Amino acid sequence: MTGRPDLMASTVGGLPLSSPVVIASGVWPYDPALWTADRLEGVGALSTKAVSLAPRAGNLGTRVWETPCGMLNSIGLQNGGVRDFMERGLPVAESAGRPFLVNVVMESEGEVSECLAILGGQRERIPAVELNVSCPNVDGDGMAWGMTARSTAKAVAVARRSWDGPLWVKLTPQAPDLAGAARAAEAEGADAVVCGNTWLAMAMDLQKRRPAFQRVVAGLSGPAVFPLALRTVWEVCGAVSIPVIGCGGVASWEDAAAMLLAGASAVEVGSALFTDFDLPRKIADGLMKYTAAAGIESLSGLVGLGRKNHEGGERR
Amino acid sequence: MTHRAPRDFPAEVVENLRLDGKTTALVLRCPGVASTAEPGQFVMLRAGTGNDPFLGRPLAVADLSGDRFTVLCRTVGRGTELLSSTPAGAELTVRGPVGTGFWSARRGVPLPKTVHLVGGGVGMAPLLFALRRLDGTAVGRVILGVAGQGWEGLTRWAGERIPSLDLYSQDGTLGRRGLALDGLPEGLPDEEEIWACGPEGMLRALTKRYPGDLGRIRVALESRMACGMGGCLGCVLPTTSGNRRVCSDGPVFTAEEVLWDDRSA
Repeated sequence: MTGRPDLMASTVGGLPLSSPVVIASGVWPYDPALWTADRLEGVGALSTKAVSLAPRAGNLGTRVWETPCGMLNSIGLQNGGVRDFMERGLPVAESAGRPFLVNVVMESEGEVSECLAILGGQRERIPAVELNVSCPNVDGDGMAWGMTARSTAKAVAVARRSWDGPLWVKLTPQAPDLAGAARAAEAEGADAVVCGNTWLAMAMDLQKRRPAFQRVVAGLSGPAVFPLALRTVWEVCGAVSIPVIGCGGVASWEDAAAMLLAGASAVEVGSALFTDFDLPRKIADGLMKYTAAAGIESLSGLVGLGRKNHEGGERR
Repeated sequence: MTHRAPRDFPAEVVENLRLDGKTTALVLRCPGVASTAEPGQFVMLRAGTGNDPFLGRPLAVADLSGDRFTVLCRTVGRGTELLSSTPAGAELTVRGPVGTGFWSARRGVPLPKTVHLVGGGVGMAPLLFALRRLDGTAVGRVILGVAGQGWEGLTRWAGERIPSLDLYSQDGTLGRRGLALDGLPEGLPDEEEIWACGPEGMLRALTKRYPGDLGRIRVALESRMACGMGGCLGCVLPTTSGNRRVCSDGPVFTAEEVLWDDRSA
């Protein structure tokens, strides 16, 4: 690597990151061979696969579908439940020697409280929690918790009561008022918001002449969604004071730089790791060179610079 | 065999052999895969480094030689067409080797006295590689089944490599008329196994043919998949021990483990 790796370090939402690149939830398996230093070059932190209170078998039928510059997934949060995570996932996550977030599914209020209490029982082993509010609120109207500011507030409040460590909230881009949802998360004590998650979409199977997925809709990710995600990051960064982690289609250091210029303090990468294990190192390396070339002192000098320049700090 | 997670490598196309209209053998120079791959393992192969097509295509290793390995690519869409038309000298990107192969999947169970190999179409690829590793003595019947017209190149290519190949085609234009399963023995003695790879229908028919011997039928499965590292859970398969990943727990399973009726067609 060239440049000054130490300049890439920062603390984001209570989590010390050696690089602003976080591996997004749903991507990295608990394969010990992949949680070693040489496989995680450039990675500041990892978010685990989604963890729910009880085991979930996930969805039936087709689960992934390639699209132009991206893919759809309908995995259905398959996981062995929080107790299985504590027994088998956590030791692997700890073995990497770098921060990680346990991605917790916002199920019912009771379930998420119990799940977080179990994690809290080993608080010293778990650096942070990332609350996934994209799941249906079965206590309420059945819409995803993150769809409105009000239900987001409720979800974050419940989580905040049950977990006293760093709490990131992963918003859903389906929310019509995403800035409002982000503000609600901040008001209820989130340490950071992750903006955002996959985009609801669908595919038709022309051979079978029916929707490709049993649940019809699925989540779109990959470079195809990057410009959409960047727009939401811009909006959310204008609405909150807590750190924002940009997530959606990041597949190059240039994408990451754009997210940071828009105000994100870090980025999450997901689908792009399916084609390039080395992406986090490339992003960290690229950002280092970019900041050095621009004469920017450190990563924090890049965060939000695009906003400042737009708002008149620098005339076009 | 110790577990190794797959890695990403550049791979130079050394030879591009268009076998017939839709089948291509690609010989790739890639020491990282060629030095460690086991029969039954595969690679995720991508043309170029752009974003479209986005995902790699899972293709079984069909042969190894020095720092090279061979895959068989049947054109089914734009991704496989791009791979098939990559000329010698150009570079592809490879993630691999991926999966649990025929040997690792045994978890210490010794090889049987005789192994019959039965492939459908380009499903013959991992079996060709297995045949090399079986060193000839333990091999019973080696059968390739194809639809017929349009498969001349693959059948010729496979025949050149396997003098004892039994060839079947549904339309009778190549080898004997019939299905690959027609070439298998009536019963399956305890000391024999069948290793198979091919279309889902062929594998299901195999399970119906030997309902009492499913533990000795080992199948290399295909699936849609995205990550090729066991992470996305896009390729899971219902088995007697719950959902398992075709990409990393498999692709080789015993026919007994697979819950065929719960598997989406």
